[in-house]
Amino acid sequence: MTLPTAHTRYLFFTGKGGVGKTSLSCAMGLSMAEAGRKVLIVSTDPASNLDEVLGVTLGQRPTAIPTVKGLFALNIDPEASAREYRERMVAPYRGVLPAAAIASMEEQFSGACTVEIAAFDEFSKLLGQPQATAEFDHVIFDTAPTGHTLRLLTLPSAWSEFIASSDSGASCLGPLAGLEKQKSLYAATVERLCDPASTAVILVSRPDTSALREAERTRVELVELGVSNLQLAINGLFSTDHTDDPIASAMMQRADAAMAAVPAGLNKLPRTLTPFLPLGTVGLWALRLMVHPDTASVAVTNDNATTPLPGPLSALVEEIAKAGHGVIMAMGKGGVGKTTVAAAIALALAKRGFPVHLSTTDPAAHVDAAVGESIALLAVSRIDPATEIALYTVEVLAKAGSNLDTNGRAMLEEDLRSPCTEEIAVFRAFARAVDAGKEGFVVLDTAPTGHTILLLDAAESYHREVLRTQGDMPEAVRRLLPRLRDPDYTKVLIVTLPEATPVHEAERLQADLARAKIQPFAWVINQSLLASGTRNPLLAQRGNYEIPFIRRVADEFSSRCALIPWLPEPPIGAKGLAQLTD
Amino acid sequence: MKTLEVFDPAMCCSSGVCGVEVDPLLAQFASDLKWAEEKGVQVSRHNLGQEPQAFASNPAVVKEMEAGMDRLPVIVVNGHIASTGMYPTRQQLAQKLGIPSHTLDAMAVKAAPCCSPKSGCC
Repeated sequence: MTLPTAHTRYLFFTGKGGVGKTSLSCAMGLSMAEAGRKVLIVSTDPASNLDEVLGVTLGQRPTAIPTVKGLFALNIDPEASAREYRERMVAPYRGVLPAAAIASMEEQFSGACTVEIAAFDEFSKLLGQPQATAEFDHVIFDTAPTGHTLRLLTLPSAWSEFIASSDSGASCLGPLAGLEKQKSLYAATVERLCDPASTAVILVSRPDTSALREAERTRVELVELGVSNLQLAINGLFSTDHTDDPIASAMMQRADAAMAAVPAGLNKLPRTLTPFLPLGTVGLWALRLMVHPDTASVAVTNDNATTPLPGPLSALVEEIAKAGHGVIMAMGKGGVGKTTVAAAIALALAKRGFPVHLSTTDPAAHVDAAVGESIALLAVSRIDPATEIALYTVEVLAKAGSNLDTNGRAMLEEDLRSPCTEEIAVFRAFARAVDAGKEGFVVLDTAPTGHTILLLDAAESYHREVLRTQGDMPEAVRRLLPRLRDPDYTKVLIVTLPEATPVHEAERLQADLARAKIQPFAWVINQSLLASGTRNPLLAQRGNYEIPFIRRVADEFSSRCALIPWLPEPPIGAKGLAQLTD
Repeated sequence: MKTLEVFDPAMCCSSGVCGVEVDPLLAQFASDLKWAEEKGVQVSRHNLGQEPQAFASNPAVVKEMEAGMDRLPVIVVNGHIASTGMYPTRQQLAQKLGIPSHTLDAMAVKAAPCCSPKSGCC
């Protein structure tokens, strides 16, 4: 067992959701604290489980972790920061401006951009101002899932450029009054990120081809941003001497194959390996086991505990098929298999003779890879932000640009370069995809949780906006939210893994959806070792560990639930995917 | 020196591109302000979402807002409210500012009638 090591003051963990960023950052923090260093662990994930892993309730100020001298942690909740920010901006005008004006200001500070900025603002306070964390030897950032992380990291340079290139006052950054004043702080943040002497970035991946591909994508983007001090941490490497079990040998082979084909760029990075742990890493005792594996006495049990298992995915497909049309949205944290579940359902519906459109908003789209070949009745597409922005820009310039003189056109183009244009453009594409569900089936593989919620939030504010607008609103946009709320039109599937963090995340997602008045149709538990029939002692032990999570999902959280076993044959291509629904 | 102050409703960009649909009138108006500036008018533009202080320190504007938020945008020329609840066209601006109409550039001055300022922005 080796944990990542680094001597820099700032450490970042990044990687697909569920690869173990929080576990590794906590284990690393613990090990550094034990070596006498003073360490602060920071989470910027809106759906962080840092509290859970450390077993302490955290806030926005450093909290000492009991029983571990020198270890502190804090949780940046971007939504709470946005609320604080909004209050700071609006409060001085209460009683000065009319109530309606206050309400309209508050509305301005409730958008998705404000949350992003508020998070980044907190983040740069820690990174851009060394005195803010002066008492700590190391600051470890357990960052959010890859897409969000990248956004967070790309924002400063994007905005620095935006501010620098805007000669008529960066208008769309309006809700961030005073952003210009923050420019030096943001610049310092970017500089620190790119300085190899002060910052190391650890790319975390499972020994799994798609996770490694994701890590490579992140590496390339970080290198483009000028971040050079990178290392790779492979987490959860499984190996066994008992190769007679088909599940164990498939798992080992898959890991070996993935490790043999690590993308070249990643391969050049310094690398650490941490092994597969059968009992999860929630709680300080589990972290101590990670740091001191030699003290672990692994109680091997061959008893396969019994529990009634939820039904197969095919039962859900059967029920979905009855409607004859509609939208199926697979939702969940990154890495739980949304793409696989969405592709399997789309394929099964197409095989039953329905025209199906499979679409993804996942920035790291693997849908084509998952389906592998073209199937009659099944159309696959990706909502690509870059393409959508280009389309939107052309449309806007055609519509509004023709009346303008050179100056006016330049200003319009400037506004189109702003960060929120992407949100708008992607949102329109999403609305179009949902609209197509009135004729056939549309299966959407949505982006990770945080992003999805932002998308729905955007839908909500659009919805409110729509009610006041007389303008020529696309029909698809106008009907989006009512459709998402209509259980006959839209069926939301919450996809999760039978593990502590993913189930906890999924539960939060369900609560978020409930706030948006959307009721999930069913839950899908993916990659169950318990259901796989493995006889390998380590994997069987892991299988038993799944039971309480499966029970919670099946008995408490869901009205319908399907369980997909861990499959020795990977669910890739038409044949591989068919295993899920046959 | 002639002054022109614009008190916009809370919106995140002055061109309206971050709304559901772009508002051509807003883009046109932004361009017209630039034009007025070139004619020597001192132009300042305040957005309720960004610069509430400018609104709070102008009692006449606060009074308009008390009468109804649809009074925004308020256009103030040389310290006097010149129009409320609408964005004037370039010709109207020229008239209010006393800019000779022969200096109007030969360009289409079209106002899109469908858009209220509130339809604008995110």
